[in-house]
Amino acid sequence: MRRIADCGSTWTKILDLESNALEIITTKELVRRRDDFFEIATGHCGRGRCATYRNELIALAEGGLSLVDEGDFSLVDVGGRDIKFVRFRGRKVEKLDWNLACGSTTGATLELLGSYYDIDFAALPPSDKWVNVTCGVFGMERVLEQISLGTTPEESVALFLHGLVRNVIDFLGRPDRFYLSGGFCENRCFVRTAERYARVVPLGRTVLLEGLKKGVA
Amino acid sequence: MKKQASDKVIGYFGFPRRSVLRAARERWGAGLPLVDLDVDLGAADSRALPPTTCRIISNIVDNAIALGPALAAIVAAVGEDKCDRGRHAAFLLRRRGFTVIESRFPAEEQENRPLLFSRARMPLRDKINAIMATIVDPSPHAAAPAPCAPTHGFWGVPPHDFRMLDLFPPTTHVYGWVRCVEAGRPADLELECAVDAGVPTVFFTQSFCAKQDIAHQLAEEHRGLAVDCHREVNAPILAKIEAFLRLS
Repeated sequence: MRRIADCGSTWTKILDLESNALEIITTKELVRRRDDFFEIATGHCGRGRCATYRNELIALAEGGLSLVDEGDFSLVDVGGRDIKFVRFRGRKVEKLDWNLACGSTTGATLELLGSYYDIDFAALPPSDKWVNVTCGVFGMERVLEQISLGTTPEESVALFLHGLVRNVIDFLGRPDRFYLSGGFCENRCFVRTAERYARVVPLGRTVLLEGLKKGVA
Repeated sequence: MKKQASDKVIGYFGFPRRSVLRAARERWGAGLPLVDLDVDLGAADSRALPPTTCRIISNIVDNAIALGPALAAIVAAVGEDKCDRGRHAAFLLRRRGFTVIESRFPAEEQENRPLLFSRARMPLRDKINAIMATIVDPSPHAAAPAPCAPTHGFWGVPPHDFRMLDLFPPTTHVYGWVRCVEAGRPADLELECAVDAGVPTVFFTQSFCAKQDIAHQLAEEHRGLAVDCHREVNAPILAKIEAFLRLS
């Protein structure tokens, strides 16, 4: 069985190269599957589980070039633990960055908050306001503070989400338009909030897998 | 940190004036080893400084405290060639009883030495070590390394953790304060900010270092990669540099 995988901090995406079947599991489940091994892998939890390990930013950049035909574009992957960004000009990398210290774990924190307060992100209306989401811990403190002041959990989480979106937009250098990679493509409230600042083109959760395909013999 | 109580050494940090270093050796013994306190010598955390201190400054204080009585004296760069926190470190170490000789590199002592290693084809780690060794021994090298055109650039100071340097190809040119050291001009901000246009450059600073201001601006101007790191580098920082070097 020939498989490649993007083993993120909270979610793992596995592609069977023979059947083209995509399996998405929580990374906590991957951790329990001690024998899972991949031809090529990327992501924080991919090391030691593959014949060839590929740097996440390289996988993202190569995936973006596979999926987007334009010469000039920005691509961001908002993950559970970090934010990765590549900007192309003439299909060459003009700028890249990986935000992993400040702003860390904001994606995972939003998922935790949503789960704790039973938030339906498809129905959650975007908020006009935001809280500063310096990192997951400080952002969560802001949410808890808002709730203690009487703000509903839904609005409080929307404030957090808006703060996260602003971090992403600033990180990208405030482009007019960008491509979005990762699980947040499926978070309608995130996409709608981001569209207050720029045109958003979601590419889905398999951009890094597309990048890994380039390394398959 | 390996030392014997009977061993005496002279510590220094930054790039002290050559005349001040020479005078210290004449006073405390020309045969005493010179120890660069900026680098990671494996000293335990003294907790003398807040955790939000540039790791290089923490190294200076931790190393000095670990060496203790073995330090005959500390020659401390405290002028524009270093930073306020270096000056504070010198002040705090003197209050702890160390003999501290302050050095401020004056404009008239700025040299104009050839940039042999900054532009050489050789491993970046060796290049930086060779340049930093010229603080203590500026005598010309018998065999100058072969120069090369730059494919990449490294801007900054010697990092606390050298592992990141191993990612760079041998055709990486050195810019920033390290280049200033090789030129013998440690307080030359113009030279420190000079970068070859079009060379994909990593602008490195230790976290909490004032040079982050410059690195951020230069990285924007030159479309480079600004990287800061506290203590040891981690896998994502290495991955970011690796991706930049490969994709740029």
